[in-house]
Formats: sequence, structure tokens, C-alpha cells
Amino acid sequence: MLYFAGLRSKKILIFTFIFTNFNTKNMHINLSSDDLAFRDDVRSFFEENKIKAGEDYFSWRLGWFEKAREKGGWDVPKWPEKFGGPGWTPTQHYIWEQETAKANIPFDLPFGLGMLAPILMNYGNEEQQKRFMPDIRDRKVNWCQGYSEPGAGSDLANLKTKAVLSEDGKHYIVNGSKIWTTLAHVADWIFCLTRTDDSGIKQQGITFLLFPMKQEGIEVKPIITLGGSHTVNTVHFTDVKVPVENMIGEEGKGWTYAKGLLEHERTGLAGLSKSLVELEQLKDNARSVQRGNGNLMDDSSYKSKVGELEIDLLATEFTELRSLASAAAGGEPGPESSILKLKGTEIKQRIAKLTVEASGIYSSAWGDKSAGPAFAKGGTAGYLNSRYFTIYGGASEVQKDIVAKKVLGLTKGSSK
Amino acid sequence: MNFELSEEQKMIQQSVERFVQENYDLTNRVKISSEDPGYSKEYWGSMADLGWLGLAFDEEDGGFGGNQIDTLVLMEQFGKGLVLEPFLANIVLGGGIIKRAASPAIKESIIPSLMEGKLQITLAYAEEQSRFDIEDVATAAREEDGGFIINGKKSMVLNAESADKIIVVTRTSGSQVDENGISLFIVDASSEGVEKQNFPTVDGLRASEITFEDVKVSSEALVGEKDKGFKILQAVVNDAILALSAEAVGAMEVLYKDTVEYTQQREQFDHALSDFQVLQHRMVDMFMEYEQCKSLLFRATLETVEDPDLAQRTVHALKHLIGKSGIFVGESAVQLHGGMGVTEELRIGHFFKRLLVIDSQFGNADFHLDKFTNL
Ligand SMILES: Cc1cc2nc3c(=O)[nH]c(=O)nc-3n(C[C@H](O)[C@H](O)[C@H](O)COP(=O)(O)OP(=O)(O)OC[C@H]3O[C@@H](n4cnc5c(N)ncnc54)[C@H](O)[C@@H]3O)c2cc1C
Repeated sequence: MLYFAGLRSKKILIFTFIFTNFNTKNMHINLSSDDLAFRDDVRSFFEENKIKAGEDYFSWRLGWFEKAREKGGWDVPKWPEKFGGPGWTPTQHYIWEQETAKANIPFDLPFGLGMLAPILMNYGNEEQQKRFMPDIRDRKVNWCQGYSEPGAGSDLANLKTKAVLSEDGKHYIVNGSKIWTTLAHVADWIFCLTRTDDSGIKQQGITFLLFPMKQEGIEVKPIITLGGSHTVNTVHFTDVKVPVENMIGEEGKGWTYAKGLLEHERTGLAGLSKSLVELEQLKDNARSVQRGNGNLMDDSSYKSKVGELEIDLLATEFTELRSLASAAAGGEPGPESSILKLKGTEIKQRIAKLTVEASGIYSSAWGDKSAGPAFAKGGTAGYLNSRYFTIYGGASEVQKDIVAKKVLGLTKGSSK
Repeated sequence: MNFELSEEQKMIQQSVERFVQENYDLTNRVKISSEDPGYSKEYWGSMADLGWLGLAFDEEDGGFGGNQIDTLVLMEQFGKGLVLEPFLANIVLGGGIIKRAASPAIKESIIPSLMEGKLQITLAYAEEQSRFDIEDVATAAREEDGGFIINGKKSMVLNAESADKIIVVTRTSGSQVDENGISLFIVDASSEGVEKQNFPTVDGLRASEITFEDVKVSSEALVGEKDKGFKILQAVVNDAILALSAEAVGAMEVLYKDTVEYTQQREQFDHALSDFQVLQHRMVDMFMEYEQCKSLLFRATLETVEDPDLAQRTVHALKHLIGKSGIFVGESAVQLHGGMGVTEELRIGHFFKRLLVIDSQFGNADFHLDKFTNL
């Protein structure tokens, strides 16, 4: 039987489950007293370490992570205990997600912490782990992800950036182009997929290299996206020298390493806790739009759309929890996890679209100095940017292809 | 039944098409949009010289006596290049009010210079609280010393930055949302008490917030009858909906065709993207939406030409479909272009933004669905 206990905080549905016996008749959701204590601990940590008026953002940020570290690995929640992580239960992870979505905590980038670090842990040698992980953890080094190329988007294995071993065997010489490299213009290092051999199938002969961005032979050019911002770039390599010690794992095996990471990236992209918070914000915004004696949330078609969105979110949240639960039980993430990215990104897009609709005539105003309510100002740019959620980290069509093949066993899918 | 354009209309269509092809590549558009005044004075002059600005004015006012079909022909082609020149604000909105309701004296002082592109005009109707309800008017005009004093604030006024004259929708009697009691005034943009705050819009055009503080006008500034402005406003808004819908149809055509072309060229997994059935079907959907919008555009336009009152419901239907389909086609074009779709470098993103803005003007898809089902 399913039952809820003390689940509705003021605005956000907070719940968790006991992950044991999930598949038995004892299935239930509530917070144990330990979990409640943990939640309070998290909340008071966030409260105590809020940025103070006039405090410098960047020094506050570094200080925040330091204090989180002293809590016992709270600065690297997803890292395993062996590498300094907190060793939380899935319930605790879930609580953390919920609380961070609501709290004002310092920004963090996924590239080093969430993308490269797991690869280093699994495939890097001890020396590489020692060399790179502390700086990632201290947020000292910014990483960027050099996978996609003009000819290798959905078909990532088609990548052509060449890495050739020097005659003395000490370096790879890298030549080629990457595209869509997020924050390459501020990155210190790149983790990069290169081709060392093209004699076999595409997935073979790919080599995983790490190298600094600020060096001769690397040229970064901005790509401006629809929201008017510069986050992505093209990156060109001309005879970039990369010491062989910067290769992860074995030469030619990079695809295997990267693919594991991609799966990781995809579930991370669902962002459901954030969406729950944004949904409440959306409702508040709509309520601030007066219509007659009421407000936009009284408008039947608008209200229905918000309702449908919330229903999808309720279901997707449990899909995520089921997936976490099966992972916690030691199994592979179940088939349900394959739809998380699809659903999660679609939900984010619908929230953004409904924000545009709530803005009414002001949705077309552009820039800070324009007109309309505060939520409308960034709303349209947010919507335009939301369009890429279904493109990056595995475009939706390709994701469905994977589900069709791997989950439903329909072998005639077109992508690999 | 005849859906053929006249020989004259076909000629105009071709000449607009050529104009857009020659002058409106993306680089040029971005350049024009980013520099003041946000459109090309040279192009505006050419449009006047080619007679496009006078098409929809009556012959007795010096125009060519055209109707909404002529405007459709122009706007559909404008939509294919995302033309920036202020045709909608000057000719459809401002000019539309003048030709319908102004005194002979005002007509004479305005229409000829409008058609020559020498005078600019716009319509200020929306307000902070009004959202899409055009009858929701708080800006007040109070009678005093034989004239009127206007106080209030107007929102998202198109082309106000360049306008010499502003037609202001005001309340002279009744409650804030009554259709009765709305009056239209023509005000010099340089009048004392008129304050503009200009800014760009998402689609690279310009709009303004305008405050009117004790702005004095004479009784001659009243356009049409006092308190009876709503009908005129509604007719002009309907024309604007037809015009914008025609522009949207032009924009959708570009989007679906660009997508078909791009997916045939781009290869992934050793196939052209266009080989993948799921993408084929999506493009068929885009194409269907475009064709359906075009059909409803023809229907609403022809019905309006015949009997504007009877056409009202179809106009609501049209704006609903244009809003919904425009965004579907835009989102789909972006999706099928992958990363390229979200960049400013390809034109599809710009067309998508224009369609998004069109949905937010003169009532969005939800608003018109509601009107349609309740009429
Ligand atoms: C904002 C943003 C940030 C990014 N950041 C990074 C980054 O930091 N590092 C990095 O390496 N990459 C990054 N990317 C790249 C991203 O991973 C790619 O955009 C993505 O893999 C899609 O590739 P593509 O853009 O080449 O689209 P394409 O692969 O050309 O796809 C175009 C369309 O075709 C569809 N399609 C493709 N193949 C099939 C098929 N077999 N069947 C059906 N449909 C198909 C796709 O779903 C899509 O709709 C980023 C992209 C964006 C937009």
C-alpha cells in the first residue's frame, strides 16, 4: 500500500521512500526519523551559510564548498565514499536534490565534478586521480567537454579529430575541430575524444585525452544562441601536443569510457526537483497576472495546461524514484530510467512555454530595460534556451531510438 | 469560387518576392535591425515608390483602392524575409484607423504623406492590465475647455520610436472594460506630456511604453465619434490579425522548406537525416500545419472582405491556429536542425522568434480559442 506522511511542505511536495522492499506489498513512502533529521541538518546548513549582504560572491562560493566538505563530503555528494563522498542512501540523495532546488546555493558546473570525475574514478590510473581530482573538488579548475564535432553530433562515434603519437612516443599531436563546446572560452582544461585509429568500426580507435585549453594551437570561437547568450563555442586544434600520461585508460577504448558517462549525463539532465520548484514559481507568476476579478490561474485553458504539466511531473518524479530504488537495490537502473531524460526535458520546456504565455503581451519585450513584470523579462530567453534541452545530451529522437531498441527490443532502430 | 490572385496582384507578389530575395538575407536583416531606427529608411522609401504603401487606401483618398487581399499578398512575402519596415504599424494599424474613421481634413493631412513614407504613425491600444482584451482601457481622456486631456500609460506600442503621430485608445466614459465609452485621438508624438521608453523586441523589431501625462488635444484630434471607438478598433485589430497571419504563413513556409533541405544535406549514422522516418513524419506535420494555416488565412480574409461582422469567428479561429501552428513549426524546425537550430547563425531561429512574437500580439492561441468557442 502506498501512503503519504507529512508530505506537503508549504509549497513543495516533499517525500521520499524507504527503499527496502520496494517490490513487495510493503511498498510505502515516508521519511524515517533519521531522514527527517538529515533533512533538518541540510536545511540548517543552507540557512547558516547563506550569502550575506555585501559579501563577495566568489569567495563565498569557495568558502561554502569548504564548509560543505567539513560536513563530510557534502561538497561532492555524488562521489563514492572511497573518493571522499558522503556515502548517502538514495533517500538522502533525494532529500539533497529537493533541498538544493529550493535553496540559494552557489552555482556549480557539471563538467569536472559530474562528468570527468566518474571516468577518472573508473578508468583513470592512481596518478591521474591524484593529479586531477583534488582541483576538481576544490572548484579550482574549470573543465569543458570536447566530444561533439561538426560531423559527429547524434552520431558521436563518427568523430574525426585526429591524435597521432609522436615518434618518440611521448606525445599525441591533436588536429581537428570540436563544436558546441560549452564554456570552452572560460575552461582551463578539456576532456576530449580523439581518433587514434580509423581502421576498424567507428566505435573503435577513439582515445580519451585531457589537456589544458590555454596553449598554442587551440582557437576558441563563440557561437551565439537564440537567447542571445554566449555559452557554446567551436574549438579548433592545430598540432596540439598532449603528453601520453594524459590519456585515460587504454588507447582506442575511449568510446567505452565516454558511453558510460553519457548515461550518467542523461539521467542528470532530468532536473525534476528544480522543475517542481519552477512549477510553483510558475503558478505564483500566473496568479500575479490579474484577469477580471481573478487571475490567470482561473483561466480554464491555462489552468488545464498547468494541471497536465503537474500530473506529468508527479508521475515522472516517481519514475525517477523507482529508478533510484532499483539502483539502490544493487541492480542496473531499470527500463524506467530510459524515459527520464525524455520526460524531464519536455517538462522543463513546457514550464518555460507557460511562462511565456503568462507574460502575455510582454513576452515579446527583450532585455532588462524593456517592459512588463519581472518574471517576463527572462522568460522568453528561458523558453528559447529550453529548446536545446531536447537536443543536447542525446536528442529526443535518438533517445527514443535507444529505448525502442534496448528496452522494447525493436532491433531495426537507426542509431547506435 | 476563385482562389486565384488577379494579374495585378500576381505582379505585386512577384515584385515583393524579388525585393525580399535581393535585400533580406540574414546578415543584412541583423545589421538593419541592430542599427537605428531599426529598419531601412531606403527600403521604406522604395516601398512607397513601388506603391505598396498605398495599396490598401481608398481611391478617393489617393490610394489604389485595394483590400485585405492585397495586404495578404504583401505580408506573406514580407514574412519570407522577416521584413523590418513598419508596414503593420503605419499602414494596417495607424492608417487603418485613419482611413476608416478620420475626418476628411485629417485624412488629407495624413494619408498622402503616409503613402509617400514621409509621415509615420502608430496605434497605442494595449495597457499593463489589459493583456489581450482590447476593450480594457484605463487611459482616460477628459473633456476640458472644448478639448481633451489625456492621462494614462500604453504598452508594447509598435514603431513608436519612429512615429510622428500616435493614435491613442482612451476611455471617455463607462467602466474600464466597457466596449462603449472608448474614444480614439490622434496625438503628436512630440506633444508635451508624452514620454516614450523604447526597447527592442524578441524578433529584432522595436516597441515602446508610452506615458501620457496631462496631454492636451483639441476636439479635432478625436477620430470617429466620441465613445464609439471600439468598433473601429476592432475592425483594425482584425485587419492586423489577417496581416500578421499572412506574414506567419510566409515564415512557416520558409521554416518547413529550410528544414526539408537541411535534413537532406546533413548526414548522421551514414544516412541523410531525411532518411529517418520519424523526421520525415515530423516534416509532414510541419507542412500540414502550414497548408492548414494558409487555408484558414484565405478563408478568414475572403470572409472579411465580404462581410467583416460575419467573419469575426473565423478571424478568431485563424489567430488561434496561427499561434499554435506557428510555434509548432518553429519548435520543430529548431529540433530537426539539432544544435544548429539554436544558433543565431541560421535564419530558422529568427523565423521561430518572429512566430513566437506573432502569437503574443493581438491575442494568443488560448485567447482566440476562448473567443471562438464563446461566439
Ligand atoms: C546548448 C548546447 C550545449 C552543448 N554542449 C556540448 C558540450 O559541452 N560538449 C559537447 O561535446 N557537445 C555539446 N553539445 C552538442 C550536443 O551533444 C549535440 O548537439 C547533440 O548530440 C545533437 O547533435 P547535432 O547538434 O549534431 O544534431 P544532429 O545529430 O544533426 O541531429 C539533428 C536532428 O536529427 C535527429 N536525428 C539524428 N539522428 C537520428 C536518427 N538516427 N533517427 C532519428 N532522428 C535522428 C536528431 O534527433 C535531431 O532532431 C551541446 C549542444 C547544445 C545545443
